[in-house]
Amino acid sequence: MNNIFFQANELTLGYGNEIVIKDLYLTLDKSKNYEIIGKNGAGKTTLLDFISYNFDGNSFDSEYVNEDIDVLEISHAPTLLPNLTLSENAIYFTSSINIDDEIINSTIEKYNLSSYKEDELKNFSSGMIKRAELAIADMKKPDVLCIDEPLNYLDKQGVEHLQNLINERTLKNKCNVLSSQETSGLMENKETVNLDED
Amino acid sequence: MKINKSLIRKEILSEYRNNSSLFLITPTMCVLIIVFPILAENRFAIDEDLFIITQILFLILFSTLFSIRNPINHRSLTRELNFAYIKKSEYFLGKISSEFLIYFPQILLFSILFSVVTNSNVKTNIFTFILTLVFFSINTVMVNIIFQMFTSFNNRFVQFILIVPIYMALSFFIAPIWLGVNLELINIYLLLYLGITIVIYSYTRFYLERGKL
Repeated sequence: MNNIFFQANELTLGYGNEIVIKDLYLTLDKSKNYEIIGKNGAGKTTLLDFISYNFDGNSFDSEYVNEDIDVLEISHAPTLLPNLTLSENAIYFTSSINIDDEIINSTIEKYNLSSYKEDELKNFSSGMIKRAELAIADMKKPDVLCIDEPLNYLDKQGVEHLQNLINERTLKNKCNVLSSQETSGLMENKETVNLDED
Repeated sequence: MKINKSLIRKEILSEYRNNSSLFLITPTMCVLIIVFPILAENRFAIDEDLFIITQILFLILFSTLFSIRNPINHRSLTRELNFAYIKKSEYFLGKISSEFLIYFPQILLFSILFSVVTNSNVKTNIFTFILTLVFFSINTVMVNIIFQMFTSFNNRFVQFILIVPIYMALSFFIAPIWLGVNLELINIYLLLYLGITIVIYSYTRFYLERGKL
């Protein structure tokens, strides 16, 4: 069965005329885990944004095939809306897939955020926002979950939640793509994309 | 054509909590409207000839302030919509609906307040008056969203300079109706307005659907 959802030969990405990634060969499978590593400015976030349709730079007419599947990105900057409460955010971001309120509440509880459900996100710490984004990703169960700098802002309990989410998804043969400067140690079976290599 | 109710709810809640129009633009406009007749004629009444033109000027001023109150950031909008699995065409429809729900009651209230404090009134019936305001509101809201979604004029001043002439053009359809032309001409103007609304909406939807945005 062909599980490949992204394939690119000589992928070049950048902003304006500045090239960040040059001639990258990349094939991603829906049932595998990937870790993108590289030093600062190597293009990890750019590549992750590109995979998750959030890239707004220049792709220099690179040829690639990108299957239309559910890809969710948890980026380094918060995506949730600061003026809405956690439960309002959860309802809005899951509105397109009709999830029961019970599932929303139980997932919020699973991530130890029940007592903050009716608080506006602007009063949350960065770690709590990231945990809330992980909870919403857990509710939505996307085909591919991309996380930029997965360990940033998370405390010990937050890292446990992230580890559990990745393990559950791996058991269900769902793809996780993480990006960080060094390997995060969150995934056992994974393929590494090293952007520092020529 | 599906309207995402959560999107409308989110936009209205954000507006209510962001306070950008309700606590700043609206009270400022109310004060301007109330002091205007005193400044112009030193009484709560103004000359009939001045009434329509100043009312339209206030409409344009309020619409412009409303439009530039909360610029859309392309990058965060794309992230937000991808995170929510919402297509841009769906967002466009939801955003028009929510902006209309926020904007229309205010503009209706301003028009009534303006009539009250100036002791003058438009020379048409209430049904036509509300209908012209509905058309004006839908079009200004739509033009504003199109401007913000499809152009990179993130500078509020540039946005202001470019959007005012469009609002002026849209208000030109209102002026003759409010000045009291005959029924046949009112129908022609309203039909023209309806046509413009349909063309703007259809073209934008077509563009978004074609690009699968």
